[in-house]
Amino acid sequence: MADEPSLLERIKRHDQQALAEVHDRYFNQIYHYINYRLGDSDTAADLAGEVFLALINALKNGKPPKTSLSGWLYAVARNLTADHIRQKVITVPLIEDLEAETPSLTDQIYIAQLTPTLKQAILELTDEQQHVIALRFGQGLSLTDTAEIMEKSVGAVKALQHRALASLARLMPLEVHQDG
Amino acid sequence: MDRFESILDESISALQAGVPIEEILAEAPDYAQELRPLLYAAMVLADPNPVLVPEERKEALRTQYLTQAAALPPVTPTFSDKMQAVVHIVQRRLTRGALLNDLVTVSLTVALTLVMTALIVSFAARDSLPGDLLYSAKRISENIRLSLTFDNQQQAALENAFNHERISEIEQLIQLDRTAIVQFKGVLDTKGENLWVIEGLTVFLPEDGLVIQGDPQEGDMVDVIGFLETNNVLIADTIIREPNSP
Repeated sequence: MADEPSLLERIKRHDQQALAEVHDRYFNQIYHYINYRLGDSDTAADLAGEVFLALINALKNGKPPKTSLSGWLYAVARNLTADHIRQKVITVPLIEDLEAETPSLTDQIYIAQLTPTLKQAILELTDEQQHVIALRFGQGLSLTDTAEIMEKSVGAVKALQHRALASLARLMPLEVHQDG
Repeated sequence: MDRFESILDESISALQAGVPIEEILAEAPDYAQELRPLLYAAMVLADPNPVLVPEERKEALRTQYLTQAAALPPVTPTFSDKMQAVVHIVQRRLTRGALLNDLVTVSLTVALTLVMTALIVSFAARDSLPGDLLYSAKRISENIRLSLTFDNQQQAALENAFNHERISEIEQLIQLDRTAIVQFKGVLDTKGENLWVIEGLTVFLPEDGLVIQGDPQEGDMVDVIGFLETNNVLIADTIIREPNSP
């Protein structure tokens, strides 16, 4: 499997095999990212398809990704998702099946209290904060990978992650904090 | 703040690795109160069972994408594209793994070159005589062969062959009327006052400067270092009786 820089160079030359490889390699990641933020698998599939068609259009117009291919794909996915959220009222999804995490009983009670609050609270975050949350927790990416995709330093992403989680905590009812 | 952000990130990594929240908080008691709500939020935010897109839907989107991709006109790489490709190749070559590969390749190439050079020099030196440029290479090659022969019988046979080669070299030098410093081993056939016959070669014993060790007698094996003059006279410099001589 080619590394990302050589894949990028090849798609700039409209190499059909490389273009197919891009779809095979990144489609699921982009789809999961959008679905995490929208909670609507149908729309997520449509928007993920649009992300890859945007890549074809960018190549057609002579404006291909410059440095990071995955960063470019996530940036387009982020914009399309943000546009969709602005157009519609979105119920932000969070995991329903918490048994997979096997939290303790105390944790389960806490999470049960927290989940509906978080669903509302996450909508109050900035788009950039929602982006970092989706990459770190939806995609499970490392801090370094998240920083690379967001074209930010690791320190900046760390700070952004902290602000996002702190905002969520602030937006939760006071008694939830005190219970902890 | 930086310290807390680092602890938060380490705690999130631990959480994602399946460490229970209480265990994580116990590791950082000073920050536990501040960390707890953030970690609960992080736990709820995790997506352990992501929904997969149905294969037929994915395949349809892929077909649509590839159809549009096929319509893209072919691109001839510009000079700038070629330069960028070269830069990428160089950047890839500068990684630790690539450098290690290069080091191994260079080392193997150097080692192979040295071995090949040694073989060629050894082959070219096989007919050289004392005083020739490549004669040292011939003797080094013989010593290497001796040191790489571990069987005692084979080693003795090899030493015997090399001794005969020394005698043969002296005979050739005499025929060519050349001067040279020579060394050989052989049996002391006849022991005269100033002339000894060793392995069929007549050796002149000078009055000054001669070193004789071990009081060699006729029939003994001796090691001789001497100088062959142009008048075919072999003047001994050192004669040593071999320790295991009969």
